[in-house]
Amino acid sequence: MTVYVVRRLGVSVFTLVVASMLVFLGVRAVPGNPAIALTGNADLSPGAIAAIERQYGLNEPLPVQYIDWLRQIVTGHLGSSPVTGLSITSELAGAFPITLELTILAMLIGIVLGVPAGIIAAVRRGKAADYAGSAVALFGLSIPSFWFGILLILIFAVKLHVLPASSYVSFLTSPASNLSHMIMPAFVLGTGVAAVLMRQMRSAMLEALRADYVRTARAKGLPELRVVLKHALRNSLVTVATVIGLQIGVLLSGVAVTEDVFGLSGVGNLTINAVFQRDYPTIQAVALITAAAVIVINFAMDFLYAYLSPRVRVEGDAQ
Amino acid sequence: MSLTIAPDPAAMLEVAARSDRHWWRRLLRRPPAVIGLVGVAVVAIAAIFAPLLSPYSPVAVDPAHFLAPVFSPGHLLGTDELGRDVLSRLIYGAQPTLEVGVVATGLALVVGVPFGLVSGYYRGAADMIAMRITDVVLAFPYFLLAVGFAAIFGPSLPNVVVALGIASLPGFVRIARAEAMALREQDYVQAAIVTGVRDRVILFRHLLPNMIGPVLVQATLTIPGAILGAALLSFLGLGERPPTASWGTMLADAQQHLFDDPWLAIMPGLAIFLTTLCFNLLGDGLRDLFDPAMS
Repeated sequence: MTVYVVRRLGVSVFTLVVASMLVFLGVRAVPGNPAIALTGNADLSPGAIAAIERQYGLNEPLPVQYIDWLRQIVTGHLGSSPVTGLSITSELAGAFPITLELTILAMLIGIVLGVPAGIIAAVRRGKAADYAGSAVALFGLSIPSFWFGILLILIFAVKLHVLPASSYVSFLTSPASNLSHMIMPAFVLGTGVAAVLMRQMRSAMLEALRADYVRTARAKGLPELRVVLKHALRNSLVTVATVIGLQIGVLLSGVAVTEDVFGLSGVGNLTINAVFQRDYPTIQAVALITAAAVIVINFAMDFLYAYLSPRVRVEGDAQ
Repeated sequence: MSLTIAPDPAAMLEVAARSDRHWWRRLLRRPPAVIGLVGVAVVAIAAIFAPLLSPYSPVAVDPAHFLAPVFSPGHLLGTDELGRDVLSRLIYGAQPTLEVGVVATGLALVVGVPFGLVSGYYRGAADMIAMRITDVVLAFPYFLLAVGFAAIFGPSLPNVVVALGIASLPGFVRIARAEAMALREQDYVQAAIVTGVRDRVILFRHLLPNMIGPVLVQATLTIPGAILGAALLSFLGLGERPPTASWGTMLADAQQHLFDDPWLAIMPGLAIFLTTLCFNLLGDGLRDLFDPAMS
């Protein structure tokens, strides 16, 4: 297992380095003078351009600029946005908790709804529960999250007046108010996760239930509930780890649009505003942090995968 | 693969019963897949014949009717805040929807399958390179790619297509790679290798035709994902620019009128939802044909 984990770690570090180079070079691909691109202001005087080039080190060779930029990101000194003049670090620090809470709640809802639904559908294969669960999952997979969010707002905020339509209250200020604001957006995202998890859990469980070790467990007279929950489920949980790793990118896109619909000033909203304001340093910072988050989560899932699956634990080292 | 090939009599009978019919005839015996196929056909017809089918131009402004409700005389599904006919805009909106879904998926397929094919067949260095590229692509969710392209080149529909195409690549690389690795061990491929058949012929004549099934399933299930992604990006303003009619931008515009005219938001979302659902039904039907164990 050690060899496997070390190798995955190496791959992750390599991916992170390449990803950071792409993010860094992306801004250089903007047509025109980098100083103008960086500030988004096309009417700069030659003196102002020179000043910006000095401030952002644009006269240095590219590798030096890249290292400087990495150092800024790692130490958290991202400077101020050339558009808003606000500190990028504090902007991100304000937006991050909202996005993190939304993502964690969505994941929890997704796992709580999706995993049991997948198990039940597999065990009751071909029965009414399977068809109903599979149909609901297919709907969840096909529904646009932003439309679902708008429908929930129409029903619960506009018609029934039971939940607030938008805005955010910190959990520390008022936990009840915080949750009443977060429940709709978290549910919208969570159902999307649940749909994918349910489908994957179902096929993983179907496969596990056909395996020899499950037949052995049944043959030696274990109660069916124990066979399903102990023997088959443990192997199927590997699937959950894989799906979470693969879904995190889709989830992040969903987070951005859900923040938009529900008026939450999280990282997604910050990013979209930055795009329309051509605020390149902010976009770069968000892009690198997001890519790094995806890579770290995938590494964590690889680790979990190795821990949960004896096959990977043993054979992973030999490959 | 394991050495024990379970001689399951039921499965063998099923295979025997299946071999005498074309796959598409078996597909037509599955009601969900038929519903999906019909729905996809309806959207395709709407997209192709939009100028003939829609009562008005999608950008024509009717100054006498702003925000006309559903079932208004002359405007079956009402008008939007600029007096544009909603039905006409919904019909024209099928065009960018299908375009993005099909072109982005096609892009990912045409680039991803050869990559996966070569890396799965040769393994070694080619495989290493393909896998590392896939890792890097996976680090950038489509949203981030679209944000990057919009920031660099400005928001546009081609940017959305390219972003979704790149993000869909790893799926096709993985499928083709896994299939190539499995097919390589088959007797007929081993025989071809031993008898000195050129690699190019093995790859494209022996391997490629035998992975069409899984690749087709992957494509059919990638299209709805790309349609949802494109709608999401248009909704956020990262896709096509106004006044082009697209379901995502219609929904974004409708957000300002949630209280006075909720149908304006309900209809384009329903169009996205039903189109995606039909593609998923069709994709699931195809997958069940090629992998009956999972149905």
